[in-house]
Order: sequence, then structure tokens, then C-alpha cells
Amino acid sequence: MKRHTHKHGHHSHGVQTMDFYAFQSGLREWNGGYKVLSALLILILCIALNDIWVSLTVIITVGMINVIGNKVPIRQYLELLKIPIAFLVLGCIAIAFGVSVKPIGDYRISLHWFYLYLNKTDIQKAVELFLKAMGAVSAMYFMALSTPASELISVLRKAHIPKVIVELMNMIYRFIFILTEVQGRMKRAAVSRLGYADFRTSCNSFGKIAGNLFILSLKKADTYYDAMISRCYDGEILFLEEEKKVGWIHIVGMTGYLAVLVLVWFMGQ
Amino acid sequence: MKEEIIEVKNLTYEYQTGTHALNHINITVKRGEKIAVMGSNGAGKSTFFLNLNGVLQPDGGEIRYRGKVIGKKELNELRKNVGFVFQDADSQIIASDVQGEVSFGPMNLKLSKEEVRKRVEEALEYMNITEYRNRPPHYLSGGEKKRVSIADIIAMKSEVVLFDEPTAALDPLSADMLEEVLAKLSAEGKTLLISTHDVDFAYRWAERIVVFCQGNIIADGTPLEIFQNEKVLEQAHLKKPAMYTVYEALAERGLVETGSYPRLPEELKTILK
Repeated sequence: MKRHTHKHGHHSHGVQTMDFYAFQSGLREWNGGYKVLSALLILILCIALNDIWVSLTVIITVGMINVIGNKVPIRQYLELLKIPIAFLVLGCIAIAFGVSVKPIGDYRISLHWFYLYLNKTDIQKAVELFLKAMGAVSAMYFMALSTPASELISVLRKAHIPKVIVELMNMIYRFIFILTEVQGRMKRAAVSRLGYADFRTSCNSFGKIAGNLFILSLKKADTYYDAMISRCYDGEILFLEEEKKVGWIHIVGMTGYLAVLVLVWFMGQ
Repeated sequence: MKEEIIEVKNLTYEYQTGTHALNHINITVKRGEKIAVMGSNGAGKSTFFLNLNGVLQPDGGEIRYRGKVIGKKELNELRKNVGFVFQDADSQIIASDVQGEVSFGPMNLKLSKEEVRKRVEEALEYMNITEYRNRPPHYLSGGEKKRVSIADIIAMKSEVVLFDEPTAALDPLSADMLEEVLAKLSAEGKTLLISTHDVDFAYRWAERIVVFCQGNIIADGTPLEIFQNEKVLEQAHLKKPAMYTVYEALAERGLVETGSYPRLPEELKTILK
């Protein structure tokens, strides 16, 4: 992942990068539930309509929303897409190719003991599947790049997801960053003492840091609990959530967009 | 005479490991007092604060808040009225954005949503962090996190506020900001207890200093009384404040008017002959 700089810290990790974009997104002021629902509807339509043109439309338009609306630089956006693309390409190759001992299929390579073969229909299927999945990924990226975790959690709370899960999500989200920060500090301290000089010492240092991190987490958990108790915590974690209104324009816009997708599908038939 | 707000009688506390114990602590805190709590690491300052705040429950003795003995049922009453700003802001902040974090205390007090909103608004304004309201805590600097952790307590409107080593790990600018906030809180009649290792800060800010040593209070008095008491200073490994030492040296040579004990450099300037 390419480095990018922003005001606080030097994160170059995938999750943190996405978190940062969600935080600075131009669509932050939109209602969280609206954004999640839109992403889900686009995702469902993209999968249900199962049409190459619909998939392409979604990839391009949602990509544009992500770049322009969510203010993710286009190069960064392509970087982010690389990860799912790698998985999808591998998966689609597995679907497109077949293995047989007899020479069948439209195209084939002889590998002495068996044949790797390709059918035209299989290729088309693989491409369709690839684009469909990319469309779905784009829709999910739209959600991830526009909705900060705190808002996402509040949407889930409103969707009546069990309290335990919602509270855990909140704490895990908070602690991921503390953990990575502490781990980063420990690693730097180890590096400065040649703890990562070669492969053997690297493994050794990594193990020790992991162990230390665990002990430290247990200790920190105690302090956290004290801090929560001191502010009258009594078994339920509640925060004030901002209420953002959904405008008519948003609803009309989204309905229009979904209608266009259906239209594209209809024309393709 | 000012009313007594907290009365601690014979407080004892022992951790399961037997360390950091408090032995028969007796102390009375009056409304609006500015108290510095000093003593080396492990002397029991933090344990004392945790007891005062109701997070830990004493093994023996009692704590009275406004004359009322605090039992198990009144613990939340104590936690509500005595706020605790932890040393490490990162161990206090639990929400995933600043606004949510500040609202945690008021929400736990089961206030109405409007009231919570109002208090959060006020606390953010108070600490001058309104612009960070939607920011996740990991995109804040150390000084900003400290401000958030203080806003947490301000939103609870506690009468007494405990600060555990607030100046530790703060840059000079943030430290100045902190002292301004402390002055503001005092002006509003809040009672402040601050644990610190910074003798200069204690000398300049406190009206009263309480010295802990191995789980006991070994001295309790005005800053002057404490820093003139060589025995206490030695026992608690405290140094004399720079201002105090300079003044003594000047007084010895007859360069200043005696008996005034300045706390700030500006005060020293005015009494120089």
C-alpha cells in the first residue's frame, strides 16, 4: 500500500487508510443509515440482475462517487481495489479452467498427463462473475469509504443488532488503534536494538512483542474498566449519536439511480 | 468557614497482592480547595483517588460526602459528584468519536437526550474542542486527547475533580492550557485535587499540599509549611521548588523584602529591592 500523509500519525495500513477516508469523506454529513441502505440496495441489485452491463455501470458510477464524493484520490482508490481484484482474478481463473484427461473444450493446453481446457461459455461466465463481484465490492467500498465506524455502529444499533455485538464492535474498533500504536512503538524500540537484524531475530522479537502485547492488554483492560466505572458505567455502553436528516433529494437520487440500473438491465435483455 | 465536602476517616485499602496499601488515612476536604497530592510512585496517591471516586471500595474506615456516609448503594452518587481525570487519556477514552466520548458520563447518569446534548456542547466549548467533535480519538494529538478526557468530566458537572498527574507527558503549550482550565474550574467553585510530582507546579498552584509516603499521609499543610519541613521533604524525596530556593537565597543576602514568599516570577520581580 502506498504511503500517504495526513495530519495525525503515519498510517499506511489498509484498514487505517479506509478509516481515514471515511473520516474526511465529502459525504460525511449524509445520514449513516441512508448510506448503508443505499450500498446494500446497489449490492443486491448488482447481484440479482446478474448482467454484465449493470455490473459495469455500477463499477464506473460508484467508483466515480467514491473518487469525487468520498474524496479518495483515484490512485489510492485503485490501490484499494487491488486487494479484492487479486482474489477475484485467482477465483475466476479457477472457474474458467477445467482439468480433463481427454482433449475436450474450445481451447486446451496439453500437460502430458492431463489437459487444461477452456470453454467459451466458461470464459464468459468468469468475466461476468468477475464484474459482478467487482460491482459488489465497489458498493461495499462506497459504504466503507463514506461511513466512519462510529456511525456504522450506530446504524447497526438502530437496526436492532444485539447489544453485545454492537458494544464489542465499538470497543474493538477503539482498541485496534491503541494496539497497533503500542505494537508500532514496541517494534521501533526492538528495531533500534537490532531486534530485526535477520530472520531469526525477527521471529524471536515478533514473538516477544506479541506476548508483551497480550500482558499489556490485560493490564490496560483493568485501567479501562476503572475509568468506565468512575464515570458511572453500569453495564450498558451508551453514547450520544448525531442525528443527520435524510433529504428528499437523497431519496429521489437513490431511487433514480436504482431505476437507471434496472433500465440498463432491461435494455440488455 | 467553608463547608466540608469530603471527609475520610481511617481509610484502609489493600490490593490482593498486598502492595500499594493505604493505612488509616484521615483527611477533610473543604469546598473550593486547591489541593496538590504529592509523594513518590507507589506512595498510594492513585489508590487514594480511586477510593475517593468510588472505583475502589475501602477495606476499612469510611468516606463521607457532604456528611453522608458512602456505602455500596451510594457509590454512584460519589462517582457522579467526584470526577476523575486519569493520567493516561488513552486509558480513559472509549468511544469512537469525541462527541460520543464526552457523552458517555452524562448518558450513564440517565439524563434526557436534550440535557446530554447540552452538556456535551458546553463541555466541548469549555475545553475548546468543538471542531474535533466528530473526530475519532486516534486522529487526536496527546494534548487534544487530554482536553477530551477533561471534557469528559466537565460534562458530568462533578463538584470535586481529581486529576492524576495531569501535567505528565504534556508539551508546554498544553500544560499552560491545563493551568488555565484549572484556574477556570477554581473560579467556578469546584474543588480540585491534583496528584503531581512537579514541585514547582504544586508550589505555584496549590493552597494546600498533602504528602503521601508508603500508604500514609505524612504531612498536610500549606505549600510553605511543607517545603519548610526538611524532614518531610527528605522522607518523601521531594525537592524544593525553584522559586522558593531562589527567594531564600535572595533573602539571605538581603536583596528582597522578607516574609512575602512569591509564587510566580512576576511576584518576585515586584519585591526585588
